[in-house]
Parts: sequence; C-alpha cells; structure tokens
Amino acid sequence: MTRRKQFLLGMKRSIPVMFGFIPVSIAFAVLAGEAGLSTLETILMSVFVFAGASQIMAIELISLGSAFFEIVFATFIVNLRHFIMGTCIMRKMKKTKLHEKLICSFGVTDEAFALTATMPERELSPWFMYGVIVVTYGSWVGGTVIGAFASNILPAQLSNALGIALYALFISILVPSIRKNLRLILLVILTAIVNSILVWIGLKSSWSIIISCIVCALFGVWFIKDPSEPASIDGDDADTFPKASEEVSQ
Amino acid sequence: MNYIALALCMMAVTYGVRLLPSFITDKIKISRKAEKFLNLIPFTALGALIFPGVLSVDASRWYVGAIGAVVAIALSCIKRMPTAVTVIASVLVTMLFFI
Repeated sequence: MTRRKQFLLGMKRSIPVMFGFIPVSIAFAVLAGEAGLSTLETILMSVFVFAGASQIMAIELISLGSAFFEIVFATFIVNLRHFIMGTCIMRKMKKTKLHEKLICSFGVTDEAFALTATMPERELSPWFMYGVIVVTYGSWVGGTVIGAFASNILPAQLSNALGIALYALFISILVPSIRKNLRLILLVILTAIVNSILVWIGLKSSWSIIISCIVCALFGVWFIKDPSEPASIDGDDADTFPKASEEVSQ
Repeated sequence: MNYIALALCMMAVTYGVRLLPSFITDKIKISRKAEKFLNLIPFTALGALIFPGVLSVDASRWYVGAIGAVVAIALSCIKRMPTAVTVIASVLVTMLFFI
C-alpha cells in the first residue's frame, strides 16, 4: 500500500471517532468557559493536551479550587493507561523510525488504540497513524473551537445521545475480533466484571481500567489455549474488520 | 492560576507517558508468554473501557447505555457491518430516550 493510501485508510477508519470527539470536546469547552478559562486558554488546552478525560477532570478540579500540581499529577494518573496502550501499538511498528514513532505517540488516545490494537501488524504503519491523528486531533481541537464560540450548537437530545458513540465504536471493534473465540469472549466478560467490582468498591475508573486489563490479560495467558496465536488477530475476523471499515465512507 | 502553564504541564505528563513505549519496545526482548500477554491487552482493555462506563451514558438511567450497547453488539455481529453504521444506529436508538 502506498503512503497516501495508508494515510487515507487511517482517516477513513477514524471517522466514527468524530461522532464521539466533537460533542465531548464541545462539552469540554463549555465547562472550561464556565470554570473561568478564556476562549484562548480553552482552545490551547485541547491543542496541547489532547486527552479528553484528563482535560474534563482538570476543569472539575479547577472548579473545586485544586492546586496546580494536584491537577498535573491527576492528569498523569489518568493517562497512565496510555503507556500500556502505546506499548501494544509500538510493538507492531518495530520497523518504524524513532522520529516517526514519536509523532505517532502524540496520537495514542483510547480511540486510536482501539482502532489499531486489533489490526494485523502488516497493516499498521506510521502513515496510517498520521491519518488517524489528523482526524482525531482535528475533531478534538475543532470541537473545542466550536464549543468555545457557540456553546449551544448541538441540541440537547443529540449531545446526550452522542455519549454512546465512543462506546459503540469500541464495541464495533471488539465484537468482530472476538466473535469466534469463546474463551476470548469469556475473558472480555471477566474483565468487564473485574472492572465493575473495582469501580463498585470505590476505585477511580482510571485505575480500575489499568488494573483489570492487566490482571485479566495475565489470567488470559493461562486461560486462552491457542499457543501460537493467543487471539484471532490475524484470523478470518481480521479480514472482516478492515473490509467492514473500508465501507465506512460509502 | 496560569492556565496556559497548566496546559503545558499537562501536555508534558500526557505526552511523556505516551512517548515512553517508543523507546523501550525496541530495547527489550520479550518472552513468548509476555508476548501473549501483550496480545491480549487490546481485548481486555477494550472490555474495561466499555464496561461499566457504558452504563453511565445517562447518569440516572443505566439502561439507556445498556440498550445502546446491545444495539451496537447486535449490529457488530453482522459480518462486514461498517463501523459507522453501528455507531450511528446506536446513537439514534439512544436518542429515543432523550426526546
């Protein structure tokens, strides 16, 4: 595949992320304005940080009167999971030059991870990631700009309902890749249960996600049988997924 | 508080965390078991990202997110269903609860 095709494919597959990012970034901008940030400060936060959960959390902490370093530290904790996710992505980009990896690293969000994590190694290239970054970063910053200037642009019904968009995206990536592997399905359900228990006993979701995904993957090393291919990443379903996604633009 | 400085410090820690894997993944030779572990992370991480967060799409009605998720699961089971169709259908069904 040429670089141009890889880039365009990355953009195409990221289109569903826009449905989630634009309303969330609009909401972030509105909250930031209410917390006392200027329009410029609000936009620059999205330009610099590009991390939805921690930006919204930072605004909440600002409203609560938290200290500067508390907010920075909380951001660090909330984004720790991207270390694990980044490791999964970078492992598939072994032949990539360091400076290209460093650019790709900027775009390692939950959503970019979801888009790339179940892809076969041969398809994942820096140019694919650049395509993903252009669309995800563009819609994040673009949504922030929209929200900073026109807070009521989305009708309430729509912006509430768009809360499901990123979950639906995660599901539509996860389900086809585990559909034919019962043990993998059980492992995912177990992770969901462990994560729910951790949240229920009062853990912050940023921690519970890290802990449950590591603990259950460790359990999976023993539980998932297939020795060479622990997951059907390169199996039939991997072929289904790219084809399915290529129809996105149609 | 200087919010621009705050944004820059938040950027430093966020990008710092995201940057680190680029440097270490080449250096460390990992065992088969560790590789299997890392191959499983995408699935467990997605599971954890979806549940129970999806139940809080509407703060007071957990079933709103649950129904949206069921729609997404059902459509994802259909072969070659475009991701965008799944996402849009799930949003539209969820919207019925907010009208």
